[in-house]
Amino acid sequence: MTMRTLFLRFLLVLVSAAALSGADYVERYDTLYNSLTIERRGTQVELRAKSREGDYLESAVDLADPLNLVVPYTRSLYGGLFFQPKPQKVLMIGLGGAGFHRLFMAAYPEVLLQSVELDPKVVELTRERMYFTPTANSPIATVDGRQFVKRSREKWDWLILDAFRGGYVPPHLKTKEFYEECAARMSDEGVFITNLHSGTELYYADLKTLRTVFPQVILFQTKNRGNVIAFAVKYASPDMTNPARWPPTAELSAPLQGRLDLASIRAEVIPWPTARVARAKVMTDDFSPVEFLDAMEENNTKR
Amino acid sequence: MINAIFYFFVGLMGILSMGFQLLGSRLLNPHFGSSIIVWAWLISTFLAAFSAGSILGGWISNLPAERRGRTQVMVTLVGVLGLMFTAFLGRSALGWIELQFENISVGLLVACFGLFFVPVAVFSSFGPQCVQFLASRGTAPGSASGLIYGVSTIGNIAGVMITAFLLIPNLPVSTLLQLWLSVAIFSSACLILILRLPSDATTAS
Repeated sequence: MTMRTLFLRFLLVLVSAAALSGADYVERYDTLYNSLTIERRGTQVELRAKSREGDYLESAVDLADPLNLVVPYTRSLYGGLFFQPKPQKVLMIGLGGAGFHRLFMAAYPEVLLQSVELDPKVVELTRERMYFTPTANSPIATVDGRQFVKRSREKWDWLILDAFRGGYVPPHLKTKEFYEECAARMSDEGVFITNLHSGTELYYADLKTLRTVFPQVILFQTKNRGNVIAFAVKYASPDMTNPARWPPTAELSAPLQGRLDLASIRAEVIPWPTARVARAKVMTDDFSPVEFLDAMEENNTKR
Repeated sequence: MINAIFYFFVGLMGILSMGFQLLGSRLLNPHFGSSIIVWAWLISTFLAAFSAGSILGGWISNLPAERRGRTQVMVTLVGVLGLMFTAFLGRSALGWIELQFENISVGLLVACFGLFFVPVAVFSSFGPQCVQFLASRGTAPGSASGLIYGVSTIGNIAGVMITAFLLIPNLPVSTLLQLWLSVAIFSSACLILILRLPSDATTAS
């Protein structure tokens, strides 16, 4: 264990001790981009954003155990290890409450984890209410994700897209042109990871759009949740969709301090919905009726 | 009959102006997102253009007949060229603007004024000219103004609803901008012809 890891853990213990002393609260904020609720119950703090269906859970942290991945889909994001087991530079578009970050930073303290968050209030609440402290290796840029990607000159090993406004996804982060910009900023062996919501026509349009840019895409469905995490790569071979070719989970799990059952994540793979994707439309900067596709329930269009 | 055609084109101009605002938001979207900041700049630009267009239209209305005709054509030509630029080069211009200005508000100011101000100002200059058209044919100025802005606002509502719920979900923005350009050329040409009709060719309502 390096001195740096020890220091990070010490810092985590100090922050946790300070955080644990607070009382329960519910606070609401209307920001430039969101209508947010931050709620503390016991040691758990949840960040929620208003959406059409009610409050949408953006992120959560257990202050008594900050490394615990409270929101289930954040565990599935670690499936990126199957495709790029040694990331050096990770870009995450959409900070949420940094639910994914704490374990990642503890497991890979040398890796650059750059976050991009549009809403300054989300950044403030993440720091002040969810007690996330950015380090030199985990900076946060407060800017639109697409603008950041366009201006970035880095090559990212993992590029994670998890940007939501409530349950709603900004249309400019769903288009073929944006995915092409992301692909251009990924390393050759890099993986693009995106959190999708199944159940609407938008899901199939999204898959079709991803597949027009990335030669290989594989889907993981978070257990008992509507989240589907898509993993996509720039190369056509070797085959990334065959789990037999993936590194052994025991080897990948080592840095994760027993916090994550990668074998169960490996079992989350779901088949590619070929027939439905074939009927979907590709979304482009010129044509991306995201709001309308998102409102069309899957069942409405079943044939 | 002439009156019906006249009001049809007044309403059509209303459809074009607010529909154009929604198309503008989709054009800006890939470059600046769809936040309240984008809408603030977009709405302000359109209001500034409506304001400038109203003043311009009022000025044109009071020019002597011969000079008025020439000015109408020249001003409309400028608006058509502006709309043409937005329809065919808008996307490339936005890509350039986005990278030149790191501050989103400065980028949006340049983008909105560069792409939307001129065509919206020019086409909204028809409002006062249409009021003058009715007033010079015997309609009381207050009634003329109320009729024109009432019909135009109904057009605005139709423009928003048709564009949002029918056109944008089904057609690419580039196609819609070209459609807007064609309809704007046709309807402004027709309005210019109608505005030139002698007073006794039509009956004021």
